[in-house]
Amino acid sequence: MTTVEQRTGLVGQGVDRVDGPLKVTGAARYPNDFSYPDLAYAALVRSTVAAGRISRLDTAAALASPGVLAVITHQNAPRLERAPDSGLTAPPPPLQDDRITFHGQYVAVVVADSAEEATAAARRVEAEYEPAEPILDMGDPRAEWITDPWGTDSSRGDLKGALASAEVRFEATYTTAANSNSPMGLFSTVAVWDGDDLTIHDSTQWPSYLRKAIAQVFSLPEGNVRVLCPYVGGAFGAGLRAWPHIMLAALAARTVGRPVKLVLTRPEMFTGVGHRTASEQCVKLGATRDGRLVALAHESTTPLQIEGTQFEPCTAGSASAYACPNVITRDRQVRLNIPWCNFMRAPGEAQGNFALESAMDELAYELGMDPLELRLRNYSEDNPRLELPWSSKSLRECYEVGAERFGWSRRSPEPGSMRDGDSLIGYGVAGVSFFWYQEPCEARATLRKDGTAVVRSAVTDIGTGTYTVMTQLSAECLGLDMAHVTFELGDSDLPAGAAAGGSGLTAAVGSAVQAACRNLVRAFLDTVRDDPTSPLQGCTIDEVSVGGGRIHRIDAPESGEAYADILAAHGIGELSADGSSTPNDPKVAGMAPSGAFAARFVEVRVDPDLGLMQVARVVSVVDAGRILNEKTATSQIMGGTVGGIGMAMLEEIVTDPGTGRVANATFGDYLIPVNADIPDMEVAFVGRPDRFNSVGVKGVGEIGLVGIGAAIANAVHHATGRRVRSLPITIEQLF
Amino acid sequence: MRVTVTVNGEERIADDVWEGESLLYVLRERLGLPGAKNACEQGECGSCTVYLDGVPVCACLVAAGQAESRTVVTVEGLASDEGLHPVQQAFVECGAVQCGFCTPGLIVQTHALLAASEGVPSDLEIREALAGNLCRCTGYEKILDAVRQAAGRADG
Amino acid sequence: MREFEYVRAGEVGQAVAMVTADPETSYLAGGTTQLDLMKDGVLAPDRLVDITRLPLGGVTRDGDVLRVGALASMEELAADPTVAERLPFLREALLMGASPQLRNMATIGGNLLQRTRCRYFRDPAVSACNKRRRGTGCAAVQEVARMHAILGASEHCIALHPSDMAVALVALDAVVHLLGAGGSRSVPIREFYLLPGDTPDVENVLRHGELITAVEVPLLPPGARSTYLKVRDRASYEFALTSAAVALRIDGGVIGEARVAMGGVGTVPWRATTTEQMLEGSPPSPEVFAAAAELAITDPYVVPGTAFKVELAKRTVARALRTAATQGGPR
Repeated sequence: MTTVEQRTGLVGQGVDRVDGPLKVTGAARYPNDFSYPDLAYAALVRSTVAAGRISRLDTAAALASPGVLAVITHQNAPRLERAPDSGLTAPPPPLQDDRITFHGQYVAVVVADSAEEATAAARRVEAEYEPAEPILDMGDPRAEWITDPWGTDSSRGDLKGALASAEVRFEATYTTAANSNSPMGLFSTVAVWDGDDLTIHDSTQWPSYLRKAIAQVFSLPEGNVRVLCPYVGGAFGAGLRAWPHIMLAALAARTVGRPVKLVLTRPEMFTGVGHRTASEQCVKLGATRDGRLVALAHESTTPLQIEGTQFEPCTAGSASAYACPNVITRDRQVRLNIPWCNFMRAPGEAQGNFALESAMDELAYELGMDPLELRLRNYSEDNPRLELPWSSKSLRECYEVGAERFGWSRRSPEPGSMRDGDSLIGYGVAGVSFFWYQEPCEARATLRKDGTAVVRSAVTDIGTGTYTVMTQLSAECLGLDMAHVTFELGDSDLPAGAAAGGSGLTAAVGSAVQAACRNLVRAFLDTVRDDPTSPLQGCTIDEVSVGGGRIHRIDAPESGEAYADILAAHGIGELSADGSSTPNDPKVAGMAPSGAFAARFVEVRVDPDLGLMQVARVVSVVDAGRILNEKTATSQIMGGTVGGIGMAMLEEIVTDPGTGRVANATFGDYLIPVNADIPDMEVAFVGRPDRFNSVGVKGVGEIGLVGIGAAIANAVHHATGRRVRSLPITIEQLF
Repeated sequence: MRVTVTVNGEERIADDVWEGESLLYVLRERLGLPGAKNACEQGECGSCTVYLDGVPVCACLVAAGQAESRTVVTVEGLASDEGLHPVQQAFVECGAVQCGFCTPGLIVQTHALLAASEGVPSDLEIREALAGNLCRCTGYEKILDAVRQAAGRADG
Repeated sequence: MREFEYVRAGEVGQAVAMVTADPETSYLAGGTTQLDLMKDGVLAPDRLVDITRLPLGGVTRDGDVLRVGALASMEELAADPTVAERLPFLREALLMGASPQLRNMATIGGNLLQRTRCRYFRDPAVSACNKRRRGTGCAAVQEVARMHAILGASEHCIALHPSDMAVALVALDAVVHLLGAGGSRSVPIREFYLLPGDTPDVENVLRHGELITAVEVPLLPPGARSTYLKVRDRASYEFALTSAAVALRIDGGVIGEARVAMGGVGTVPWRATTTEQMLEGSPPSPEVFAAAAELAITDPYVVPGTAFKVELAKRTVARALRTAATQGGPR
């Protein structure tokens, strides 16, 4: 059987999203679109202090409120277990004691006949607190620091010596603001108990883990819990945890003996489902006069919820971004009384890249060198940290193609030297070396007697295009028309799926789907092995190929048999096969696994009189290995780019210094880009299929956001001569 | 209270409506029409856009009582028996849909923009017309492509 | 939101009587502020009187005055041909003021009564807010302010008036028509809004139950040049950091009449009278505009997060004057 890479077929084509028609007609069912007879609704009560204890909780008025069925607090909640680790320690189960560790922590859940009644009653819960002085600032001497939280710190060579003797030295501190995932879909849970069986509709990115988590919290056998999430209204990492509100919905449903719907409010989305941490980073660079890096130090400090956990390595990428012999990277976390920090599109990378790629730009100016040339001069042909060849790397091509398309050569190097009327024009560039990540994943492929196939895995499509690209891949692997293949996901009863996170899902599920399809073809060959009437009798998998709904011999393509005919001939209703994937081991494979690479070129226009900045153009050239669907991949890069513009120009979670309250937890106050903010965007893909997984892909879900912050800041410097070392870059900093 | 409203051409009655419920809530939770989405409940994102007496509004900020005896068209009412409306078709073909949560609001608002436009709207007009429809996935570019295509622009 | 009684008013007098009779009864028009704040728990009336079906809409021209019914929508007013022709900067302010959906809902009367976006006012979890409850203090002064006022502000309240439309109407000396149980009266818009002082909960001269019925807007003289400039973080759909509504009549190389009002800086829409006085009789030059704009901000009350607005507002006025003089001509 030939591999997919060798065929030119469905895979790669920019076919329309298979879930498109359902979504444009309003027929796609998101978690909060589900309804049940006798459905009740829950509303949450949140703490109004950031630290301390609940001293009094009076629920009488809420209980007496119209339509109210129950009010659950720590005083009457049953004991719940802690969810298992997901790689990170899970959030503690809710309402287990009177301690408060952040402003916005749940202190009660109210259940009523309608959502409005529940909300009205929730306001009637009277809570008083014995407040403690919250730790809200990284400079607070009481704050606990964690060094090297994940064992990712790195050191090679002699940094100190190299810095001391470097011909050119540069050092600066960079900061980024806390950002909110703010997917459009409000996170929602509908919980339905049937005896000890629990069905959960939820906005999760990881149904296989969430099922495990819920089962453990409620001390149920895992098989009793089913998590459904066929459509999720975006998440950007917010759906990677088993959040307390999910448990509260299930608890509420069990308490009132009715199905319960819990939809977070937009303000609750800012405190209840995590956020991207702020960061404070120091970069030190040493170089020769001709622009060769001899020393690179990158240190980062990020806040952490006081009892929370988070993987947010801001500096790890700097260890392998450039060929430099003397490197130190260090991450630290500081525990604060803030809401949970969590994954948000390109965690760590988004912040770390801003610091490193800004510093490289600054160094280029110190050297009097073109910033693009400085990057090429320090290009890492092999992974300098693992000292192994990359599984694929076409970053050089990204720079070259990007520079050409953008017109980088038209840039006059002097800051403030390019103008158009009242506007100063600036060009900026940033390089991106995204991390690699992959989880184990399983899939099952089934062919039915009508010749159609269904392929399943308990993964999610949070808007990324998984439904579509896996339909394409399955169709290709089985030799079927796309119309004859259905890909099912979003159900924890399906074969265990990987998380939609770390840009690793497509490689994980794609490899599992490939394996399942291959095993399915094998199963058909097994079926006809002893069938003298079959032209495929006795064929091995390597002697056949697929196409047109049939399996045929490679040496005699006319000799073959349709799947449906085989099933009919053997009186089989349907045939299934499983497949699984596990991540490769770099040492065994003898190569460093590559994430995607990209070069980002940005043009900004700044009105220096009023401080108004507009991103006019963005050219992104991305090496993401094999592209399964040009249309959905391009969308991912464009969407990420606009997320990056938000991070660079608008997005900042503001926390009241006195109380720890998130002060701007609405779409009116926390600004994300609108249609009028977006630039002319051009996306191109370069490179070859990656060698580290059988599908050849490198994920595109996050890299689109990375590099935009630095490229914009670098362009602002080029336009105005002002170096802005903190994101977001707002009007105050530009006029 | 009882609210009678014509939705997608059909007279619908919702009973036991609580005064504080919004038109959006009535549509989604009482009339089985979850197409219009609730993403902010405060008129700040456009996901709940529906036609009310022929003009697009944020259904989350219309009190249920205000919709009494009026006419509503939701995203569920735009496709016909022959298939998708051209605006819907353009969104699918141009890749203007990702997670899809903002999509129903954008479809209705685009439908209204094109119905009201005498000529073919410019990019600036499209961007302003859709400024109240937040999208967090697509980066808007392909939404713009879809509107251009649906408007019959040569560059669509 | 809290339970309330919903009543649909059948006629104007009945609506006024119902609201006047009960301090816990409020009007409901477009709902974009009223329902929003009820959802937030900031407002909690016992009863809402829905006035949207009362005959208080329409936009009509009477000579050089435009009469705008209080229930006309922002979109309706923006689309009016007289507005496009004789009040172009009002049109710009309306279009920049909200998304199309909200413009379809929000009424002109409601827009005048638009409440502040101060995030301490809008969250009942914050206890210190003199505007919500007199005497409780002002959290915005203590915590993180940015979208806040620097004029007419004090330690009692720095809540910003968020309307764009009202800025243009203040520049135009519009007149607000009110109907109360005791009869009707007319109030010039600059007298309609009250400075917060130590009673920030009182925002205007409306007595309880009094209803805005119409706004009369004098048209700009033919040939006047005007513009509305809004400086904001996003390119669209965002409240102003600073804004300026400017109208100039230039006769024979001299500014005959100048109307300048500012948004994004005041606890009420702010008329820049000193700036106007300096402009009138001067030639329309960039130097004159810059000098006049310098006078636009006097005695600001700033906190760290709002200090930038002093300079930004002046530059906004200067730019708006320049734009109006060069591009804001009749079309």
